[in-house]
Amino acid sequence: MGWRSFSSRMRVLAVGSIVAFAAAGCGRHAVRASEKEHLADRTMRFDADEHESAADDHVLSNREGASGGRGTGGGGCGCN
Amino acid sequence: MRLQLTGRSVLLAIAVAGSAPPARADDRIDLTTTWYLERRRGPEGGLSVVHPQLDFEVDAGDSVTIGAGYSADVVSGATASVFSVDAVASATPFDDVRHESHASITLKGSRSSLTVGGGAAAERDYTSINLAVAGKVDLPGKNTTLGLSYTHNFDHVCDRDNGMAVALERRALTGLETCKVSSVLVIDDTPGSTIWHDLDIETAQATLTQNLSPTLALQTSLFGQVLRGFQANPYRRVRVAGVEPQESLPDVRGRVALMVQANKFLPGLRSAVHGSVRGYSDTWGVNSLALEMAYSQYAGDALLLRLRGRIYQQTEANFFKDAFFYDTEGPAGAFFTGDRELAPIRNVLAGGRLSYIGFNEEGGTIWGVFDEVRLDLKGDLLLLDELPANPDSLNPAGIDSQFLSSGQLLDAFVLQLALHTAF
Repeated sequence: MGWRSFSSRMRVLAVGSIVAFAAAGCGRHAVRASEKEHLADRTMRFDADEHESAADDHVLSNREGASGGRGTGGGGCGCN
Repeated sequence: MRLQLTGRSVLLAIAVAGSAPPARADDRIDLTTTWYLERRRGPEGGLSVVHPQLDFEVDAGDSVTIGAGYSADVVSGATASVFSVDAVASATPFDDVRHESHASITLKGSRSSLTVGGGAAAERDYTSINLAVAGKVDLPGKNTTLGLSYTHNFDHVCDRDNGMAVALERRALTGLETCKVSSVLVIDDTPGSTIWHDLDIETAQATLTQNLSPTLALQTSLFGQVLRGFQANPYRRVRVAGVEPQESLPDVRGRVALMVQANKFLPGLRSAVHGSVRGYSDTWGVNSLALEMAYSQYAGDALLLRLRGRIYQQTEANFFKDAFFYDTEGPAGAFFTGDRELAPIRNVLAGGRLSYIGFNEEGGTIWGVFDEVRLDLKGDLLLLDELPANPDSLNPAGIDSQFLSSGQLLDAFVLQLALHTAF
């Protein structure tokens, strides 16, 4: 029973994933290197502080049934 | 209690796997201490967790980075040993210490990186070993980053030796038994007293990060996880039809989550707005949605203030019942649980962080050998609202006393102090 209803929710999530990934990839592609000053700012990085993210997840995953999905960091200027 | 380590070790493995260094050219040391305090009803007081973390990362040549770290949890407080309509009646004090360490090596190319890492963790009734691998690549133009990671946990859980007893006859650990752990790698059963169960956890994640404009970045992450093995709290009992057996949960759980995050920089204000939404679903029937907003504001050259708010709501697991109904109706099939994480709940978080950022604009050092120093002070307030899983009108006992955290407005806060250095 659990897996069947999970499968239907998986289909919804799969559609959502495709839409979200497509949206993520459909932006203005030509952000030139000279335009990345603000993207390189520390406030624009996803998961800029791994300690803080890990501690946040540690607290929340012990209060909530859900977990995961935070991503693997990076982003911002893409200038590494 | 040990399930805290389950989540922690998986999250750390993902963090290790995902920590392929971004734009950091410097070696670094990070030291963070987090204090979590949760109010709980009854004479035994609240729950306190002190969580120190220490990590370092050094470059070994132009294309190799080595990282290692240690963290611990020092836990003390009250827990309810029986899930019933009155949690305070079975509240008992407990304390525990967990140790965790990890290491990773990252190979970096001009547009890609590959990280391989692993970790080990132990406490008196739980051990964990994990292996993780992650890759990341910047697509041409360096506006799109694709990341993939996989982690496998080989965990073991100590339990009462219940032989072939059926669910309603199983006895819980009391804390007086000995779980033999001579090291993370060596565990031993004590026939007639305690045995160790396997718990394997596979976690995979895909992340796509896209620069949408010179001031807007978007990240989408898809997370999947399968847990196979013993997942109950071996200490927790549930009052079911007049008896109090050990909690009983399914052996397999599949989880999936989709998260979308966006960061928008506001140059005129020297600030940034952050937003995220996460949907989650699992095979136990827990579905949830989390929304988070944050605002970062520079004040001068050295101060950065961030304010954030988050709301979260989830449905209960298929087999979760309010305590009164387990006692009067019996279990839901073969399963019964008193885990608050499997109940219908709503969680609200509000907090702020103030950062001092010190660096030498001329490119030299600051504070001796360091190129950059950041000091963070952070505080979060948490409110937990427990909702009824069964009709209120049929529950004369209500749900206001079934958890130690029930019936409180402000139930927890988090205080964090961190020092980050690059040299």
